Amino acid sequence: MFGWAGTILRVDLTKGTITREATDPKLARDYLGARGLGGHIVRSEVDPQTDALGPDNKLVFAPGPFTGTFAPSAGRFNVVTKGPLNGVLAASNSGGSFGPELKYAGYDALVIEGKAAKPVYLWIRDGEVEIRDAAALWGHNTADTTDLVRAETDEDAKVSCIGPAGERQALLACVMNEMHRAAGRTGVGAVMGSKNLKAIAVSGSGAVKVADPVAFKAAVMKARKMIQAHPVGGAGLKAYGTDVLVNILNQVGALPTRNYQDGYFPTADKTGGESLAAKQLVRPKGCFSCIISCGRVTKVDNPAYAGYGEGPEYESAWGFGADCGIDDLDAITKANFLCNEYGIDTISLGSTIACAMELFERGFITAKDTDGLQLTFGNTAAMVEMARKASTGEGFGEKLAQGSYRLAESYGHPELSMTCKKQEMPAYDPRGVQGIGLNYATNNRGGDHVRGYTIAIEVLQNGAVMDPHVTEGKAELDITFQNLTGALDSSGACLFSTFGIGGAELAEMLSALTGVDYTLDEFMRIGERIWNQEKLWNLKAGYTKADDTLPVRLLKDPIKTGPSKGEVNHLDQMLPEYYRLRGWDEDGVPTKAKLKELAL
Amino acid sequence: MTVKYFATIRTYTGEAARRIDDAPVDLRELLETLAGRYGTSFRRAVFEGGELSPEIIILVNGRNVLYLEGLETPLAADDEVSIFPMVAGG
Repeated sequence: MFGWAGTILRVDLTKGTITREATDPKLARDYLGARGLGGHIVRSEVDPQTDALGPDNKLVFAPGPFTGTFAPSAGRFNVVTKGPLNGVLAASNSGGSFGPELKYAGYDALVIEGKAAKPVYLWIRDGEVEIRDAAALWGHNTADTTDLVRAETDEDAKVSCIGPAGERQALLACVMNEMHRAAGRTGVGAVMGSKNLKAIAVSGSGAVKVADPVAFKAAVMKARKMIQAHPVGGAGLKAYGTDVLVNILNQVGALPTRNYQDGYFPTADKTGGESLAAKQLVRPKGCFSCIISCGRVTKVDNPAYAGYGEGPEYESAWGFGADCGIDDLDAITKANFLCNEYGIDTISLGSTIACAMELFERGFITAKDTDGLQLTFGNTAAMVEMARKASTGEGFGEKLAQGSYRLAESYGHPELSMTCKKQEMPAYDPRGVQGIGLNYATNNRGGDHVRGYTIAIEVLQNGAVMDPHVTEGKAELDITFQNLTGALDSSGACLFSTFGIGGAELAEMLSALTGVDYTLDEFMRIGERIWNQEKLWNLKAGYTKADDTLPVRLLKDPIKTGPSKGEVNHLDQMLPEYYRLRGWDEDGVPTKAKLKELAL
Repeated sequence: MTVKYFATIRTYTGEAARRIDDAPVDLRELLETLAGRYGTSFRRAVFEGGELSPEIIILVNGRNVLYLEGLETPLAADDEVSIFPMVAGG
């Protein structure tokens, strides 16, 4: 096979067995890899009703065909499983260099099955695979774990691991790799913890075979030039990182503020990428084969929040910032560092702390619940302390680490949880940007932005423009982005490469790499197939049309201040058209004709 | 009127915001005035062939001028104008 390694590795932690099987060429062609192929494995082998944290769930680490090549920003892999946060067919995407190394070791997917009797880690060196005792690693944070594993294996090994949050199966737990890159969403770290799997170290000496090296080189160089010529991919993200979005979202009135009670935060500029570059940036950093370098190596000198690490990204800066009514960037970055060290999702935790602040201010919880802290909006020290407690699992923090839906529900006010399908929404207010609201409501993994990033068109003027306040055309826009991202995530490319290239360039590179003739239409059809695959799982897991919605606040309560004052989201004007264009029935169920068309 | 600058535009202006006491008639007049103040780099960022550059995002009271009247968007004394280069993230 070209582009694919040709082998899937299975490790059964209950039996202690290690087996290999050939990658099915048809599945590889139709689902590519990563999110698509990993999703197919989980959908085929795991009952959607199974306990996500039980031994019958499976955990798949899968790179894509581009992963490990010199295609631009081709360092991605996905962690795929039944997600414990909300039961969906979860796939969490991460960069770094773990994915390429897994490919070089010879694998299109690593499938973890069962549950180890005691803490273990995996050491994969090409064809040699060992299940090793991890008793000495248990309890360590992600940075120390990475160092300790490397000391026991190879100083150049690439390591994915969980921190203490994953060990105790907190529902917001991530899988971290290379210390600072996260497979952050849907609680995949809790599944790893449930299997007593602390870490995976991998070292590979192989390479990715290319079907047509001359054509691949030409297609890659064209794509790289297009990204480098783009004002965002070529310069903007490197200079300011993703946190540059704080100001533009605020200036259009769509920066969710104080648990989505408002859409405008007057002092947001203090938390934006410009401030980060001036105050904390040590240097930009890219993942494997990246020519964009959006990553931020950062240092905080303020003694109260001193630290050194990476981030925050835009979503994290918002979650611990505007959403908590906080404009202290040092505190925000400290909370981000804590999450990376303990392995917890910054987006969901920031939103959950914001939810707790609203519960507190409305009198639904008191200082007796919050370990004595006055958990009010804008209380910077309390926010950082709650991030620490959630990371370590102390006191009220353990409730926060399960996400805002369970938190708010436990106090009788689930309406204050800013979630879709029990996962926290990211940093774009659907009242100020209509299309992203439809994406949140229909997204297969719940509150999520990366799988349907209509912001690129509705706000960022990237390639095309659509008025964020109108609903017309947004169903088609959402579907296009969702399908494109389904294929892109599965290819191993980075979403940010689309700030410069599109599906046509991705299909051209993929064809030269694999020897399979992918047209743009076929590439998009693969994305549609993957979207429908995830939808089918979710239906079997119990989700219905009633779950394709937004928090009531966003449908009923207008934004109070700023440029989008008075706006609500008009989901009812978009959802029926979305179902129709998807080829689904009025209840949001894929029709038999659509499934046949997609060979599902 | 207040004009706010963001990201690389700030490197051209050397300041994050400016108060304009005599409101220009429209956006074109405002940008011409600002280009006169800040120089060539700013002018190249906002104009392309005498029209609005496709790589600039300008909001008037939070609304992209592409949904208003572009360079002919009328301005008033209490307006807030935000000027961004193309930015992205997520």
